Amino acid sequence: MALTGRAALLAALGSVPVGLLGPSWTGLLAVNGSLALACAVDYALAAPVRTLKPARSGATSVRLGEPADVHLTLTNPGTRTLRADVRDAWPPSSWTPGTEAAASRHSLTVPAGERRRLTTRLRPTRRGDRRADRITIRSYGPLRLLARQGSHTVPWTVRVLPPFTSRKHLPSRLARLRELDGRTSVLTRGEGTEFDSLRDYVPGDDTRSIDWRATARRNKVAVRTWRPERDRHILICLDTGRTAAGRVGDAPRLDSAMDAALLLAALATRAGDRVDLLAHDRRPRAQVQGRSAADTLPAFVNAMAGLEPALVETDSRALVSTILRGAPRRSLVVLLTSLDAAPIEEGLLPLLPRLTQRHTVILASVADPHIAEMAASRGSLDAVYEAAAATRTGSQRLRTAEQLSRHGVHVVDATPDTLAPALADAYLSLKAAGRL
Amino acid sequence: MTPTPPDPTRPTPPDPGNGTGPAQDTTTPALSGTGNGTGHPRNTAMPAPSGTTTDTGPARPGTDHGTDGTHPGGSGGPGHPTTPPGQGTGTTSTALTRAQLWTRARGFLLAVAVLLTAAVALAGLQAGDHHGRLDPRSADPDGSRALAQLLKERGVTTRVVTDAQEAAAAAGPGTTLLVADPDLLGEPQRRAIRSAIDLSGGRTVLVAPGSPALPELAPAAHAKGFAHQRDLDPGTPACTLPSAGTAGRAGTGDGLRYTTDLPGATGCYPSGGHPTLLVLPSTTKGGDTVLLGSETFLLNKRLADEGNASLALQLLGSRPELVWYLPTPADMSADPGTDAQDPSLLDLVPAGWTWALLQLFFAAALAALWRARRLGPLVTEDLPVAIRASEATEGHARLYRRADARDRAATVLRAAARERLAPLVGVPAPQAHDPAALVPAVSARLTAGGRPSDPAALLFGTTPADDAALVALADHLDALEREVRSS
Repeated sequence: MALTGRAALLAALGSVPVGLLGPSWTGLLAVNGSLALACAVDYALAAPVRTLKPARSGATSVRLGEPADVHLTLTNPGTRTLRADVRDAWPPSSWTPGTEAAASRHSLTVPAGERRRLTTRLRPTRRGDRRADRITIRSYGPLRLLARQGSHTVPWTVRVLPPFTSRKHLPSRLARLRELDGRTSVLTRGEGTEFDSLRDYVPGDDTRSIDWRATARRNKVAVRTWRPERDRHILICLDTGRTAAGRVGDAPRLDSAMDAALLLAALATRAGDRVDLLAHDRRPRAQVQGRSAADTLPAFVNAMAGLEPALVETDSRALVSTILRGAPRRSLVVLLTSLDAAPIEEGLLPLLPRLTQRHTVILASVADPHIAEMAASRGSLDAVYEAAAATRTGSQRLRTAEQLSRHGVHVVDATPDTLAPALADAYLSLKAAGRL
Repeated sequence: MTPTPPDPTRPTPPDPGNGTGPAQDTTTPALSGTGNGTGHPRNTAMPAPSGTTTDTGPARPGTDHGTDGTHPGGSGGPGHPTTPPGQGTGTTSTALTRAQLWTRARGFLLAVAVLLTAAVALAGLQAGDHHGRLDPRSADPDGSRALAQLLKERGVTTRVVTDAQEAAAAAGPGTTLLVADPDLLGEPQRRAIRSAIDLSGGRTVLVAPGSPALPELAPAAHAKGFAHQRDLDPGTPACTLPSAGTAGRAGTGDGLRYTTDLPGATGCYPSGGHPTLLVLPSTTKGGDTVLLGSETFLLNKRLADEGNASLALQLLGSRPELVWYLPTPADMSADPGTDAQDPSLLDLVPAGWTWALLQLFFAAALAALWRARRLGPLVTEDLPVAIRASEATEGHARLYRRADARDRAATVLRAAARERLAPLVGVPAPQAHDPAALVPAVSARLTAGGRPSDPAALLFGTTPADDAALVALADHLDALEREVRSS
């Protein structure tokens, strides 16, 4: 049950007849009694909420930053017209702050025995599953004095997928991939191990690749070309431990890491490699294995949608053994973690030989541009101390990266906007060098 | 391969393992199956699929949503459970059914019933036998009904008043006025009692007046400490009061003691040299004021002890009428003096409009109810962790600042500058921190640029002496690096 402003206004106007005509209990009773009667009639004429039949349809997944339309069909099986305010409640992060009230509320009229469709447009601000909360319906009577109010629960989930903003880098990287593949006439050449074809020597070709035997058979110098290896295995590991929760700019490190992982996965599936995903902190959080090329990326975004950083220290031992189990033969292992000194030196470094003896390892880390800003700050005492602390952090990262490089790990340390292309380039250069 | 690859970034449905059909996200529930158009803007009203009012089939319970055949998977994939077809009415409603309501409320109702019963029972058991202290109608141990009965038997009528004006009006030469708790009286009440004392010519008994009441009601007397014994002797020969002589030892102690320098005053029952019962002559002929340090000997529980009854009867029974004034809160709040001069706002409003005002209050209450009712409860959600990745570094900077770690900061800044300078001047990285290798190389570049400065002191100097020197060091290192770069 809910009162309306109209009822309050009528009660306020009722003070005039009470004051002029009946300044007594009788007058009060007459005015308020008739108001109560009108309210009761109105309530009785309002369509009941309990018997309404709501049903949902519409979007089930959406990229972060894009709108999703979820439809709500309200069926009024009764004999009274439904005049209602409807609130389709979703968790707060389903809308940009400040627009929730307007976006979730609807007014509609459903004549008896008919149905109407409402569209709630969600603009989620975070990754993950958004589950619909209850639908609250306030059903007014024809006088709009008193309303019936009730709620229905119709489950619906909209999965908010990672935005994959780095896909703008994909065409340029694919172009470089094609160059590697020898499909264009540019003089770059895959140095893989798979013999592709012979072609005429052009100035600029590596003289070491001249096939003398073939040259002897024809009157032109011939060079061998190789195709870059295909069907290699790549395992992308997202560290979802506490270091992934730190925000760089406005997004957690994990989101930037996901972006880089998606670009790498898109590129590698295009290059004919198989890509698996593992998200791990103390235990595996998500795992995608053995998907076909067309299916890899959808499976990745889906697995990533629900990932949140856990505020625990990553268990490197468990991580390494899970990796070794997931990659039984030679693979490219891409670790998306942080270069912070303590977790690497105490956790990962002692275990690295187990990984590097069989696999090629890339460690990609999200650098914080704010540290660089701090390192350049000058002018006041606070600024200089900030600069000193930031410089110290920076040199520690460098030292950690050097230690890792000594173990044969390829380190990619880049700011969020450059990490994805940098990781893709590292992959391409490894591929070009035939080291996958 | 096509020149432009198909976009692999298209939003994709949840994976099949999750049980959702691959076409789920593109499925638009075309409820307007009869060709009303498909691109419905938001909140567009749509008639039922049949388009007629006679056939409201889909709206009827039992005929499920599937009747419009253009709704593939419209009942929701397994990942998105919507109402299963054919479900009964009200299953999605969160409103409680009557049975649930009863199940939930009955415990509460039972508790309320038990509480009410207990309250009524307790009130019934205790009703009537509990009154205030020193009330002549009360038979409690702390009441004074026994005394009132004894006085009645001796032909003294006791009249209880709760209003100071009434008490003052009732006082006269033939009355004894007992004021039960003079300290509680407000200013107007004290004035009324004072006038009664001055003008009536009867006896006024003030029970345990303390320093708040004494200056007004008995200016000649002063409170003087506390009597610790309960039962006291009359204290002859100083006590010339005949009643005290007849009564003998009585429980006037355990209360206040008084002194006075008024000639003609009689002090009795002294404790430590100061009387606990003081009789002051009044300015009017025949009147007097009796100050009792303690009321205990008037109470039911103590009346039978020692000479209490005798003393009480003689003190209060000397006149044919006893006015027993019990101050009440209502009496205190009534303030006739100011009330007459300063009418409140309500008095100024015409009579009829106070009723209108009442109606307005009612309307305000309705408005409050209108605004208070929410359209559904708040939705809660787990918030993500918000830690800046640079937080540890910022904290480090603040620690440096608090510890005045100029040496640390200078060392770090110098080391970083050396590492940046070394490749610029062609010194190998391992020798970057060696003064013998780096300083000459840097100096050579500087003299070439024509700007002499002291790179040795800058790059390998001592700790800055104060904060300003540290700030300057950072700036000079930057300047040095710029010079080397530009030279």
